[in-house]
Amino acid sequence: MRNRFIRSLTVAAAALVACTGIASAEWPEKPITFVVPYSPGGGFDAYVRAVAPEMEKILGTEVVVENIPGAGGQKGASTVYRSDPDGYTIGIWNVPGLTVPQLLGKSTGYDLTDVTWIGNLATSNYALAVKADSPFNSLKELCSQGKPFKHSDTGPASTSSVTARVAMTLIDCPIQNVTGYKGSTDTIIGLMRGEVDATIKPLAQLLKYRKSGDVKILMTFEETRSAEDIPTSTELGYPDFANFDLRRIVGGPPGIPADIQEKLSAALLQAADAPSVQEWAASSNNALDPVGAEEASAIMQRLMDFYGSYKDVLAQ
Amino acid sequence: MGFDVLIDSMVSVFSSGSAIYVLLGVLLGLCFGVIPGLGGTTALALLIPVTFSMEALDAMYLAGGVMGATSFGGSITAILLNTPGTAPNAATTFDGYPLARQGKAGLAIGASATASALGGLIGLVTLLFVIPVARSVVLAFGPAEFFLLTMLGLVAIAVSSRGKLLRGLIAGGFGLMLAFVGTDTVSGELRFTLDTDYLWDGIPLVPTLTGMFAISQMIELGLKGGSVAGAVGDARQKISGVWDGVKAVFVHWPVLLRGSAIGTIIGAVPGLGGTVAAFMAYSSTVQSSRDPESFGKGNIVGVIAPESANNAKDGGSLVPTVAFGIPGSAETALFLGILVLHGIDPGPSILLDNQQEVYGLIVALTLSAVGASIIGLMFSRWLVLITYVNVHVLVPVVVTVSLTGVYVLDGKPGDVILAMIMGIVGYMMLRFDYPRLTLVIALVLGETAERSFHQTQMISDNDMLGFMAGRPQSLILIALTVLTLLLPALRRIRIAR
Repeated sequence: MRNRFIRSLTVAAAALVACTGIASAEWPEKPITFVVPYSPGGGFDAYVRAVAPEMEKILGTEVVVENIPGAGGQKGASTVYRSDPDGYTIGIWNVPGLTVPQLLGKSTGYDLTDVTWIGNLATSNYALAVKADSPFNSLKELCSQGKPFKHSDTGPASTSSVTARVAMTLIDCPIQNVTGYKGSTDTIIGLMRGEVDATIKPLAQLLKYRKSGDVKILMTFEETRSAEDIPTSTELGYPDFANFDLRRIVGGPPGIPADIQEKLSAALLQAADAPSVQEWAASSNNALDPVGAEEASAIMQRLMDFYGSYKDVLAQ
Repeated sequence: MGFDVLIDSMVSVFSSGSAIYVLLGVLLGLCFGVIPGLGGTTALALLIPVTFSMEALDAMYLAGGVMGATSFGGSITAILLNTPGTAPNAATTFDGYPLARQGKAGLAIGASATASALGGLIGLVTLLFVIPVARSVVLAFGPAEFFLLTMLGLVAIAVSSRGKLLRGLIAGGFGLMLAFVGTDTVSGELRFTLDTDYLWDGIPLVPTLTGMFAISQMIELGLKGGSVAGAVGDARQKISGVWDGVKAVFVHWPVLLRGSAIGTIIGAVPGLGGTVAAFMAYSSTVQSSRDPESFGKGNIVGVIAPESANNAKDGGSLVPTVAFGIPGSAETALFLGILVLHGIDPGPSILLDNQQEVYGLIVALTLSAVGASIIGLMFSRWLVLITYVNVHVLVPVVVTVSLTGVYVLDGKPGDVILAMIMGIVGYMMLRFDYPRLTLVIALVLGETAERSFHQTQMISDNDMLGFMAGRPQSLILIALTVLTLLLPALRRIRIAR
């Protein structure tokens, strides 16, 4: 009798151990897929390929980079969104590149409001540039030339196009967007050829062309100066402009358990701090300012509200 | 001038033992080139992750080896199987395959190898001379000129389809229709996407080309049966006459120079690439020939022109790269991607900051252009044996490998389906005698034509003609287009006298 009791107790204990064992089984126990929604060789791809090997060391499992290009990044985004929320599939997201199609109802298969955010890897600030020998020296001059100022861009849905159109609407400045350039560098070359009056592009990229003496940067879209000799939009009296930026933000499908989200977030931050990644960022001039899951979620909420209030401008 | 840097780079390739990476690249490039559906872009895209653990310079050697070798590799399949191994070899099939059927495959391969090597070298030498003025060259050509260049290309379609003008125009028109599928570059609206996000980015080129040329040709061969050499009742295809092929290139040196010049120029225009370059080199050669009727029936000049152009385009495509760090072709875009991956930031001062890597790539391309041809010639004796393989063995292998190639580039099942649809369309065109390359050229040109047309319109405040009239570079292109249209008529008048 007693024997039997002990036996059943042992079984129960064993079951309990097995049970808790499952719950706290060391995640991760299989490779993690890190989706890049663009072809190999781009900026987003480079970021992911830089941090993936470090995350691999930290998490103790393989981190496989997978490129799923198509539909302006939406193909990869929806693939991540639809995958199982077990933390084994995550991706890098282009914001506001993916925010705007969603707000306009032109997105397929993803909803940024319930993505499980893991961390923001980098934020690029925008700046306004004109040709080096341009007669224009301020945004005011550009806006008051009697006709819309021409702005070069890749396509109407691109992040910088969204920034340019919304920002200029905020201050009632007429703008004509010349689209169809083959990449953001090409839009700067178009500026240098004199095809357009000005262009709004990531500051880091424009700085290279200022160094080579090709462009003049009139202002940055930020609150405090990151380049000492360029005034910020806030200083010049356009406080809303600091809201515009380009984010490379990491997230997974909706419903990833909080403990796994936390582990992924910690691993991402730690990887971004690794010497090899820091070295890569410094030499390739790619910004790195990682923030964790909580902050990233807050940022996304704020940006959704911000862009959401300019829906009608975006729809034009 | 960068010649001293070039010599330094050349010496360091050999002294550091890095030449092994070039050699590896050449072998990979030849293999990817020979197999239809797999090309330089696929090879480099697959290699990018691999290069992550390599030194940046070694990655350049590998990439250069691949880039320089694929188009010669592709010409071998074009000549032997009438199936271009890579897209730019499509024009080589016109005269290369008839030569193979006459038992002169050796002649064609010899000419292709020599034209590829020399064309590649001419393109790179041109690049070295252009480097000091590359910035002004790139800044001189804007959307207006890109638009006019595509018009010149479309006119070449009309001119090159002598006798079959209506069929050429139908195929070209169909290609243009396909070019308008996908996102409108100006308004961002989606067009003709059949409710599938697969078509948002337009009709992709690689699956279309593979279907049009490889799959359709395999359907044709499979239905015929036998073997390529046997099907034409040829006794024994010998790889003789290779030296005659080599000599032919030197005899026809004006063709080589013109092909290389066209290749270099078209190569420098972002978005056009080797397929258009080879096509335009071929059509201009036919047009300026004293005996245009002999083309399509095995004229060796018809091999030299496109092969010199599609290797010279590599040099040209580096012009925008050395000037501003922007890609001139799909391959150079991947090359810049490799640099970013290695913590290098390509920009307007790429030539100052990353001199070593840029010249490393040029050296690798140089070695590859020559090396690929030598290696290719060594193996051509055995490659010709492909034409004896029974098509019931050959067809399934080629179809499987080329469809796999289509799939690995982007991992989209839709690409495989598209390749198969295009294979059937291509076979129909083959049967009913419509030019397939014309469709493809129109597809490539249509995208750039539409984009640059709208840009020019916006830049010029809706006064395109007035805008172009004020630009000498535009006027030259307009004159060339008019000349291309009038030349056949003028020639006829001269002959009539």
